[in-house]
Formats: sequence, structure tokens, C-alpha cells
Amino acid sequence: MKGSTKTSLVIYGLMGVFLLLAAAFLMNLWGQTAERPQIPLVDPEFIKTATVRTSYAELVSAKADLSDFDCYGCHEKGKPPILRFDDKHNLLIPDEHKDIVMGHGRNNRNNLCTNCHDENNLELFQTRDGRELKFSESTELCGSCHGPTYRDWSAGAHGRTSGYWNREMGPISRKDCVSCHNPHSPKFPGRQPAPPPHTLRPPLTQPAHAAAEGEH
Amino acid sequence: MTRRIQTAVRNYCVFLARCARIAFVGDWRYYAWMGVLTVIALLGLNAYCRQFADGLVVTGMCDQVSWGVYIANFTFLVGVAAAAVMMVIPVYIYDNEELHDLVIFGELLAVAAIIMCLAFVTVDLGRPDRFWHLIPGIGQLNFPASMLSWDVIVLNGYLLLNVYICGYLLICRYQNKKPAVWFYIPFVFIAIVWAVSIHTVTAFLYVGLGGRPFWNQAIIGPRFLASAFTAGPALIILALQVIRSVTQYHITDKALLTLRGIVQVSMIINVFLLMCEVFTEFYAGGLHIASSKYLYLGLHGYHALVPWIWTAITFNLTAMVLLVLPVSRSLKWLNLTCVLCITGIWIEKGMGLVIPGFIPTPLGQIVEYSPSVNETLVCLGIWAFGLLCYTIFLRMAVPILQGELSMANESGALRAKLNT
Amino acid sequence: MSVHPTSGEPKPEGMSRRSFLRTSAVFGTGLAALAAGLAPLLDVKNFPSLQQFMQKYYKELTPEEMAVVLKRIENEVERQYGIRPHVRDLKPMDGVEFVYCLNLTRCIGCRKCVHACVAENNQSRNPEIQYIRVLQMENGSLDMEKAVHDYDPAKVPEKEHFYMPVQCQQCKNPPCVKVCPVHATWQEPDGITVIDYDWCIGCRYCEAACPYWARRFNFAKPSIPKDRLNPEMDYLSNRPRSQGVMEKCHFCLQRTRAGRYPACVEVCPTGTRKFGNILDPNSEVSYILKTKKVFIQLKEELGTSPRFFYYFDV
Repeated sequence: MKGSTKTSLVIYGLMGVFLLLAAAFLMNLWGQTAERPQIPLVDPEFIKTATVRTSYAELVSAKADLSDFDCYGCHEKGKPPILRFDDKHNLLIPDEHKDIVMGHGRNNRNNLCTNCHDENNLELFQTRDGRELKFSESTELCGSCHGPTYRDWSAGAHGRTSGYWNREMGPISRKDCVSCHNPHSPKFPGRQPAPPPHTLRPPLTQPAHAAAEGEH
Repeated sequence: MTRRIQTAVRNYCVFLARCARIAFVGDWRYYAWMGVLTVIALLGLNAYCRQFADGLVVTGMCDQVSWGVYIANFTFLVGVAAAAVMMVIPVYIYDNEELHDLVIFGELLAVAAIIMCLAFVTVDLGRPDRFWHLIPGIGQLNFPASMLSWDVIVLNGYLLLNVYICGYLLICRYQNKKPAVWFYIPFVFIAIVWAVSIHTVTAFLYVGLGGRPFWNQAIIGPRFLASAFTAGPALIILALQVIRSVTQYHITDKALLTLRGIVQVSMIINVFLLMCEVFTEFYAGGLHIASSKYLYLGLHGYHALVPWIWTAITFNLTAMVLLVLPVSRSLKWLNLTCVLCITGIWIEKGMGLVIPGFIPTPLGQIVEYSPSVNETLVCLGIWAFGLLCYTIFLRMAVPILQGELSMANESGALRAKLNT
Repeated sequence: MSVHPTSGEPKPEGMSRRSFLRTSAVFGTGLAALAAGLAPLLDVKNFPSLQQFMQKYYKELTPEEMAVVLKRIENEVERQYGIRPHVRDLKPMDGVEFVYCLNLTRCIGCRKCVHACVAENNQSRNPEIQYIRVLQMENGSLDMEKAVHDYDPAKVPEKEHFYMPVQCQQCKNPPCVKVCPVHATWQEPDGITVIDYDWCIGCRYCEAACPYWARRFNFAKPSIPKDRLNPEMDYLSNRPRSQGVMEKCHFCLQRTRAGRYPACVEVCPTGTRKFGNILDPNSEVSYILKTKKVFIQLKEELGTSPRFFYYFDV
């Protein structure tokens, strides 16, 4: 083939390729961004800042129903309630208070109602050394045994602080112990975590021993 | 005085016009080669437009592995650009006459490589429309704290330096004038030092990051230079043979063998530095070698890069052995060796350096990386564009150096057209 | 076209009509392919206006110019989300240096902080951006290689594990600030490392430099559900970001510079997180740093001097 014929062929070939390319580009034949898998929006429960419980003081200021705290609605004044135990000296919770689960302290050291409640006046608490405290002062009661924690709480280091860190611009909001801890069973129960993070890229390989390790 | 300037400017315009014209003229092989490169470049441009519209999510990168093949190619090409000027050293310092004209081919390769580097960095940016923030004086260039600011300055400076030197030498040859020593020799020596600096600055980009123990090592700088001076001259050896066969430009085998000498020594140093790195990491061990473990052995069941790095090491070792043996004096074996060098070092600098720095993340997570189709098209497009530039430069330079394109044979018609 | 036999230059007598047509045709088809190749650019949403393109660096904006910028942002957000936000530019307070303390005895790994942060700071839901990453660690070791990021048991905390949330440590000696080529990120006098989203060029060098994997990049246009947009915004913090820029934890400066706690502190159900002004001797963070015995600053050996102190209840 002569040189100039080859050149013509190449140039005409190029023209054809360019036209094909233009068409392919306009028809958007490839390169569209792949659809990303849907990520469900997080349950709004995980963003709520409310504590799991409400303290007596909070109930009072919210003018909520306080009938749960009306002990003498059922108990008789002047008559200390009778405590019953099983043969292993575990406290038996009466049916009227069956929502209470005792679990305060390990080795069954603190499962006695009168360690905190004053049996002579059920509307008050009593400390180990006999001081009387109102329901709204429950934090002092906790602090009478849990010294280091109470000290930290007073400084703001234990428990949640919210509101204003700059006290000159607004109030700090502190929670009483019982806003988070169930006084009868204070250890936090486990809770469901919010969903794990979603990586932008799917894994290239599934590592062989990932299943065995259970993690990674 | 103004008349002289007017004449000079007119001469320069004629020179540029002829150079531009000749870039579009050639035989069928030239058109085919340029055509293929243009098609690939257009594919890359289209892919980049897709990326510009949809964001970098079209690549394979993510927050865990936030740099990928773009920066890998950038790193490799800075090495090529630096090494292209290494040919200058034998010529000007050791007075090696054989390489004299070939220096221009090396510097033109450096120009093309820097253009590719700048392109790779630009396509990697999330907001390329804000490039002006990098311009000192107008933007807020964080010089001297940020190594990337140093890179911006040295790369652009190197581009201008090489464009000036090549441009000056070529126009002198076109006008059959002897180049004035003070107009180019000082710049050549600056270019030698500058070449080392561009690659050192690029190495320091990685070395300066204390949070990435895989990179925060002194050996990375020397390793970069050693591998650059292996892959760069290897590329030039191949390019010179192509030029020789396509244009009948006179290039002696002795020139090629001089370059072979550079590749030989550099590869030996490169392999030695690799051994130093591997020993330092694996002998003492510790938590900070997690990235090295991932690269060479696999980590916690993730092993995507292991075959790549061992291929690279095999290529490099084979190339080193071939370079040391006299068999690589024969062009066939030399070419094979060069291909092994270039491929091995490309893998080593790309997948072997950039990606393992991100795996595992500083918080211990392993997310592997693989470039997407779009990303690959952009890379191919930029490579094609770079080769396109280099071919055009050669298409202009070779006839000038051969004396076929010169002031003496400017056509009267063209002159007359420009004079009116 | 006819060429000079040696130089390859076109012969001066001009081209024949056929070769001229051929040349124009190949150029024409080439230009057509080029134009078609640029077609995806038509999909570009929110091409920056000239005003946006020329916007000055944050530290160079006069108050009047800043007011114009804030107005523009409010208009854009209203156009996109249908809600008129309130965008401010709060300045750091004098005599304030923020510090964060995190009690590792108390964290249960519930990830409420992660999502409160996402909601407060208008982070993209898809691709998902979360400034806080909670690590499930094995008891007895801070080896992050053993950390699990995607734990999802029925109940947390799990036995034999502790939980360590990591976010931007607002280092005193931040590597990200050092490496940014355009000064798009810097440390403010109150200790917060901020980003000017309108100045960032998206090179991701800061993301590579951060030893805590704290910085996030917008690989795509962020998607925020309209009904979860937080309209109380600040220029340097939680206004919606654009595609191609970096973002990270900024200690909720739209809240903290107004005297309030960050969202992560507010939501934590166990009181793990403590935040305040270290220069105030009565703050809880001062108390913690004075009384607790064991502190961990992550990767202390790197010299970043983080403002984040992990401690235990002793």
C-alpha cells in the first residue's frame, strides 16, 4: 500500500472513531456513578438527651403525678413495715412492690430496705449514722456511702453535666443520682448500641479468618 | 532598538508557527499514534468531567484510604522528571559529548512528565476551581510550613526552567546561532540541583507525617532518588531507541550504554535500600510495622497488595542481576531490563508506598483500596496526554536538531504573510 | 497534504482542496468528540458564582464582607432545604481554652454521641460522615490494631472490653495545620482547630497527616434530610458543606462559643464526657486534671499535645 493511501486510511479511520466516541459520550454509555446502598436514618431515640429516669425533684418541678411516693396511702403511720426473708436471708419483695428488683451492692450486702428508708417515717431516708433526709435529698444519701463518687459529682466530674459550661452565660444542668441510677439496682443495664458506621467502600476480600476471630 | 525587538519577536512568531504546523504533519504511523493517544486522552477527559460533576466518590478512595492512583502516578512521574535531567550531569560536568544533544530529549521528557504531574495533582483535588488559593501573594500559600506548598513552587519552577532551557537551545539551533553561555549554562546547573530538590520535596511530603509510621522514615528520601534514577533513565533508553528508529536521528549505542551505567548503579542502591527498610521494620518488630506487614505478608487476612509487591521485588531483583551481567549490553536484553525496572519501580512507588501508608488507619481499621474504572480512565488519559505532549515536543525538536527546520529554509511566502 | 520530503513540513504551494476538506473533517470530528466528552459537566450542580469563586480568606474578611457571606449562605440553605437558617460567625471568648476529658471507666459504647454530633452538625448521611468513632478495645491494652469499629451486639457494654470514642483531639501542635498548603485550617485562640470550608481546595493532605483519623472529606455532595437540618449554624462549624472539602469535629463551636456544652457531652447517658475551660480553676475539667491519677493522651509520643484527656475513675 502506498504511504499516502495508508495515511488516508488512518485519517478516515480516526474520523470514524471520533464520531463513535462522541456518540458514546453523549449516550452516557459508561461511567455513571454507582448507586450507593441506602443507609437508614438513625432512630431518633439515640439522639434524645433525656435521662432514663426522673428524680423526685424533677417530678416535683414538672408538677407530675407523685402518687407513687405517697407511702402512707397504703402503709399505716406509726407501724414500721414487716420485712420478710427467705432461708438464705434474701429479701422477699412483697407483691405490692414487685416492680422493685433489689441489686444494690454485691454479695448481698445492701439488700435491706431500712439501710436507706426510715422504717418509722417512710417519707424520709436515713443514713447509716441516723441522719434523716427528704426524698429530694436522695443524692446526699447516696453520697453518705459513695464518697469518692459524690466528691466527683459535686465537682461536676461524675454524671452528666449539660446546659452551659460558662456559668456566666447560663445555668449548668446537673442531674441527681437517681435520674440515671435505679436506687434499688444502680448498675446500668446493658443497652442496644446505635448502628455501627458504614464505610464508603465495600470490602475487596472477606478475610479468611475474620469469621473465626469474630471481629475485624 | 525597537526595530530589533520587533524583528526578534517576528522571528520568534515565525519559529513558533512553523513548530506548531509541523506537529500536525507526519506519516501514517504518526497519525495513528497521535490518534490513539487522542482517543485515550478524550476518554480520560470525559471520565474527569464525570468526576468533577459527581465528586471524588466516583474513584475508589474513601476516608480510610484518601490518596490513590492519582498521587501514586504523581509520585512516580516526579521521579521521572527529576531523572530526565540526570543526563545533564554527564554532559556538563563530565563533558560527555555523546550525550550532548540527547540532553534536550531528556529535558523535553522532564517537561512532559511535569505536565503530567501537575495534571495528576489537579485531578486529585476536591475543589480544583480554587487552585488560585495556592498562588503566593494572591492566595494563602502556606510556605514554608507545608511541604505541599514547596512542591507547588519547585514543580512549577522546574517546568519553567526546563521550558526555558529547551526553548533557548532549540531557537538557537533554529537560527544557527551558538547559544550564549550565560543564557543557559547557569540554568542547567540550577536544573541539576532543582531536579534533586523536586524529588526530595515530594519525598518529604510523606516523610513529614509523624502519624504514619510507614512513611515517617528517613530512608524514603534516598529511596525515592535511587528509584527515580533507575526508572527515569530506563524510560529515556527506550524513548531514544524509538526516536532513533522513527526519525533516523543519530544516536549512538554508546550513549545508551552510558545511560545503562546510571540505571545499573541506581538499581543496586535501590535494592540495597529496600533491604535496609525490610530489616529495620521486621527485625525489631513492634506495633508500628503494621503497614509493612500488610504490604509484604498480609495483615489479619487482608492481602490485596502482597502479590503486587512481590512481583515488583522480583522484577527489580531480576533487573539488577541483568544489569550487572554483560548480557544487558545487548539492546534486546537491555530493553527487557528497562521494562522490568520501570514496571517494578512504578508498582513499588505507587502501590508499595502510597497505599500501605493508609492501611491500617491510625485507628487500626483496615479498608482496602482498588481504583475504579473512572479513576483508571483518568490516569490513562493523563498518561496519553503526556505522551502526546512529548511526541509533539520531539516532532518539533528533532527536525530542528537535524537542521531540516531552520531559519535558513523559511519559505518566502510564510515570511511575507507575517510581514503584512 | 503534500509534504516536504525531508523536513516533513507542508509544501508552501498550499494544500489541495481534498486534503483541506479531509483535514477540516478530522479536526471537526475531533472537536465534536471533545465537546461530547465534556458533556458530564452539564450535570454539575451548584457551580460556584463569581462572588463565591473570588471570596476572600476568612481571616481577611471585614465584618461587612462577612455579613454578605453569611447572607449568601442563608439564602443557599433556604433554597436547598426550604428552611431559613441562622448563620453566625462567633468569635472565640477571651480567657478561654477548651479541654475535653473522657472517662474510660464509664463509656458503654452506645454511640449516642456519634449520632447526636451528626444531628447537631449537619453531617452527610449518605455518604456517611461521622466525626466520632467509638472503638471497642480489649481490656488491658490500648493497641488499636485490636480495636473493633463495627461492633453491634444486642447489648453494650460487652464483658472484657472497654470503649474509647475518638474524634478530633484539637491538638496544641496540630500536624493538619502544618501541612495544609493554603492555610484553610488553623487553630483558634480558644483551642479549636477550624476549617474555612470556602477556602479548602480538597487536597486531603491534612487527612493523611492526622494521627487520629479525625478528618473527613466530602467525596460527594452531602445529603442531609430536610427534616433533620439544624438551622442554628456558624460559618466555621456546622453550616452545610459542599462537595470536595474537608470537615471535622470543631467542639460544636456554634454552641460552645455561646457558653453551652457540645452535643456529644449533652447526650452521653453515663456522663463519660466532660468539657470546659481549662483556664477556669472551678471548671470540672480543671478538677479532673488536678485530682485524677491516670491520664492518656493518645499517641502522646508524636508530640501533637492533644487537648483530649482520657482518664479512669481513680
